[in-house]
Amino acid sequence: MQKFITKSPEETESLAEQIAKTLEGTEMIAMFGDLGAGKTAFTRGLARGLGVDDGVSSPTFALVHEYSGKYPVYHFDMYRVTSWDDLYTTGFFDYMDNGVMVIEWSENIVDFLPENRINITIKHLSENEREITVEGAKEI
Amino acid sequence: MKILAIDTSASPVSAALLSDGKLLGEFYLNIKTTHSQTLMPIVSALLSSSGTDIKDIDVFAVNAGPGSFTGVRIGVASVKGMAMPLDKPCAQVSTLEAMAYSMPYSDGIVCSVMDARCNQVYNALFRLNGGKTERLTEDRALSIDELADELSQYSETVYLTGDGAELCSNKFTDCLPNVILTPVNIRFQHAYGTAVAAEKMAAENRLCTSAQLMPVYLRLPQAERELKARLAKNNNKKGEEK
Ligand SMILES: Nc1ncnc2c1ncn2[C@@H]1O[C@H](COP(=O)(O)OP(=O)(O)OP(=O)(O)O)[C@@H](O)[C@H]1O
Ligand SMILES: [Mg+2]
Repeated sequence: MQKFITKSPEETESLAEQIAKTLEGTEMIAMFGDLGAGKTAFTRGLARGLGVDDGVSSPTFALVHEYSGKYPVYHFDMYRVTSWDDLYTTGFFDYMDNGVMVIEWSENIVDFLPENRINITIKHLSENEREITVEGAKEI
Repeated sequence: MKILAIDTSASPVSAALLSDGKLLGEFYLNIKTTHSQTLMPIVSALLSSSGTDIKDIDVFAVNAGPGSFTGVRIGVASVKGMAMPLDKPCAQVSTLEAMAYSMPYSDGIVCSVMDARCNQVYNALFRLNGGKTERLTEDRALSIDELADELSQYSETVYLTGDGAELCSNKFTDCLPNVILTPVNIRFQHAYGTAVAAEKMAAENRLCTSAQLMPVYLRLPQAERELKARLAKNNNKKGEEK
């Protein structure tokens, strides 16, 4: 487990960019943290680290955004996922093992996630400070 | 009667052509490429290399579930698309039943299992007896432990087959000595089994129209309970709108 403190969204993005360099292509990255914690910001950095050129935005309404970089990147937002059927019908399980899955609001579906995953927990310390805990990733 | 059957219910994709019970050809791929890119090329190759005009197909069959959400939809939509303009009947085949029909001649219980994740499986049981396949249960989703309990009442040989078979076999070996894991060449779903199941459905007047053909999804009862409990816990947080 590694802990980091970031002092701006840019720092969060560049931390994620470094973590991206350690990925092998089929990881599941489960993100935890409240509204405005910085999960989308983290994903933006991660996608950039994987060579994704498209802009990364929140998939709150679409549920999943797909990007293609060095590996396919599947960016989920589970904020509105309120039943097993919802989860299944995002095609969630079909994405497994086919690319890097990055999941916002993992709190809502944590029981259905495989044990073998990376956990990113983002805690609000102050307006511009975040504590980011990384579990299950290679050391950076 | 000519049957064109396809399977896209899990990671492999296959298409088979059956003519009066005889397998004329079957294509099978198990690669990473998405079914939306592989299915139509293999169907068209199967038809052209066997010298079959699609107009001569009498029944279009598909594994309509259980299976992966996207896979099942690709299969069902493709069969609808082929059958509708020709106004031909369809067979909405259970993936688990198709697996049972892929078993070579043997006597005993076939336990078809697909991995539904979260320690749950999609399953149905069949009895093979003197070349006949008899369904013992509905298609359902249940936990691996519940399945083990149920299997303990059978004294016959139980053939564990499907993409969830290995997962179960690892858990069953100690408690269920009469369970056998099928060899890989028949373990995973093949469109051949779908075609054989469809032939039986045709004989029993259980075909449907292309418009009636639908994906079949099984719900995971246990998973749903767990999610509800968790959502209740999170309710305070979820009050905020974003
Ligand atoms: N150190 C920091 N790291 C990340 N974001 C920060 C930081 N400091 C301030 N911010 C701000 O916090 C906000 C984070 O927004 P972001 O959309 O990434 O959050 P989120 O966790 O995805 O929220 P939601 O739950 O709504 O999806 C942005 O406005 C960003 O500018
Ligand atoms: Mg977000």
